[in-house]
Amino acid sequence: MSHHFPAILFLLPMFAAISMPVVCLKHRQWSRPISIAVLVAMVGVSILNLISVIHHGEVRYAFSGWAAPLGIEWVADGLASVILVVLSLLGLLALVFAGPASPKDLGGRIVHYYILILLLIASLVGIVFAGDLFNLFVFLEVAAISSYALIGVAGGRALFAAFRYLILGTLGASLYLLGVSYFYAASGTLNMADMAEKLPQLLTSKAVVGGLLFMFIGLGIKMALVPFHAWLPDAYTYAPESISPILASLVTKVALIGWVRIIYWVLGAKAIVYDIPVLLLVGVLGTLAAVIGAVLALSQRDIKMMFSYGGISHIGIILIGVSQGNHTGFVGGVFYLLNDAVMQAALFFLAGVAICQYGVRTVEDMGQIGKRAPWFMVALVVVALGMIGLPPTGGFFGKWYIILGALEANNYIAVAAVLLSTLLTLAYFLKIFESIFRHPATDSEILPGETPLPFKLSVGITAAAVMILGLCSDLIVQFLLNQALPPGM
Amino acid sequence: MIRPHDSIIVQTLGRFLIPVIQMFGLYVLFFGQYGPGGGFVGGVILGTSMILSVLIFGHDASRSQVAKKVLHGDGVGMLIYAGVGGLCMIGSGEFLNYANLEIPGLETASRRSLGIVLTQIGVAVDVAVTAVSIVFSLSAEEIIEDSLNG
Repeated sequence: MSHHFPAILFLLPMFAAISMPVVCLKHRQWSRPISIAVLVAMVGVSILNLISVIHHGEVRYAFSGWAAPLGIEWVADGLASVILVVLSLLGLLALVFAGPASPKDLGGRIVHYYILILLLIASLVGIVFAGDLFNLFVFLEVAAISSYALIGVAGGRALFAAFRYLILGTLGASLYLLGVSYFYAASGTLNMADMAEKLPQLLTSKAVVGGLLFMFIGLGIKMALVPFHAWLPDAYTYAPESISPILASLVTKVALIGWVRIIYWVLGAKAIVYDIPVLLLVGVLGTLAAVIGAVLALSQRDIKMMFSYGGISHIGIILIGVSQGNHTGFVGGVFYLLNDAVMQAALFFLAGVAICQYGVRTVEDMGQIGKRAPWFMVALVVVALGMIGLPPTGGFFGKWYIILGALEANNYIAVAAVLLSTLLTLAYFLKIFESIFRHPATDSEILPGETPLPFKLSVGITAAAVMILGLCSDLIVQFLLNQALPPGM
Repeated sequence: MIRPHDSIIVQTLGRFLIPVIQMFGLYVLFFGQYGPGGGFVGGVILGTSMILSVLIFGHDASRSQVAKKVLHGDGVGMLIYAGVGGLCMIGSGEFLNYANLEIPGLETASRRSLGIVLTQIGVAVDVAVTAVSIVFSLSAEEIIEDSLNG
């Protein structure tokens, strides 16, 4: 039974999404409970899957029974399994949050709305598990198409942002597909493990070099790496409040995981292409992203915009970690990725509550929330500590291991970039807190109604998770060191 | 909104051709096991026949009712697909490993044959529904709205 878990994890949301139009034909309001039930089941299965991977090692699931180089393969190793647990938990919280935060005028489209969310989650599972390069492309496209639609649901400016994302996302996907076809032409296979055996002899081939560049640019657009990040802030800011947490915490991170798979599992950590170590290139771009993203975040007034740029800078920090080429850096990067997923979800939950409940969109108006919602402030402070990277939050330990890894690799510029981006993060959170404490709410303002329970639940749990990840950091880092390292590192 | 075509030649030919096209679609679908063909192509041909009837006889004709009903069947095909896959998993094989299709009283060879036919039927149903719903969403906003609002 246990070797079926990876397949079940993907099939659950996929087929729930597809059967939704039939099941909810007469009862539209069933779509939300069904989606939540599916996600609860996914959380359970993903935890069972993680336990089974810890005890019995990685699972390679061949669909239809066709073995690896010929058939379609799902690879559930330590890395994929641990990411799946975080993914399904955050997906569940985002669905809980989506109840009161969804746009009010959906009407009959509510069923489609939940179908798209489930499809998005299914495709993210697919990207994490995919054992061959072409399936990675397929699921990247499914994820992208459902995100375009979900961003556009709100109408108005969101349509413009979604269209811009559509153009850039399609460009990215096409470049990635082009890269895959070059790799296929050179090596004659699409399976990652099979290609990893054939590529070392082919690294001087122009097709492989060109393909690698195309793939990198394609995935760079998908993960919003700095020169290609232009679509992200608008898309996440104007997306419905219920959708931005799931997009910000999962979509870019999962594209990054795809890239990590390609560099470490397909290309090999020590790959040198035309005298340029691939990891060095990634590291330099990560360094740029970490600093530039944080600088741009500092200059924003809209809170969602600010958090989006914060996410861009954190993508850079994760890339710095994974590109150091040593165990400490890699594990630090992956651990920071898990933390960042949780923190981004928490931030966009907070932003969603601020917008839906208090009607506050800009940094200056944050003061209006101050005294009225102490629980909101506590959560904001905790998440801010995590984003800045102060102990005992998970953010601190992630950055700690990344810096240790960079020191081990004698890469002082990377250390400086992480520290600088930390300072800038501190600065933009100070901007928020300054406005909260300098412009406290006046008593005469009308109090909004009772905060819905889903808001408190999702914000509370993610804020607690920021702390818990820090307290359990030793356990998780040990697990990653033992189970999630790429082969030959 | 598409109105009935006013040419008697088109109407008569349509009445004659649509069943032939449907037969051919089914033939392609089932022939897919042994030669070129299969679920996708068969589904497209079946969908085309329904689109043709809408184009010739208009949205409101009794002949187009099938196409309108089909719109609600979005996902039924994938459910068939999932059912076959699930039966294979119950028979302790991988998803869609037809050798383990859990239907009692069948040889392995007939299990494989039956499994592939069922999944292809599933694919055909969904492709046909998708083709029809694309035409409807381009031509008749109100029918889509009706199906949304129950």
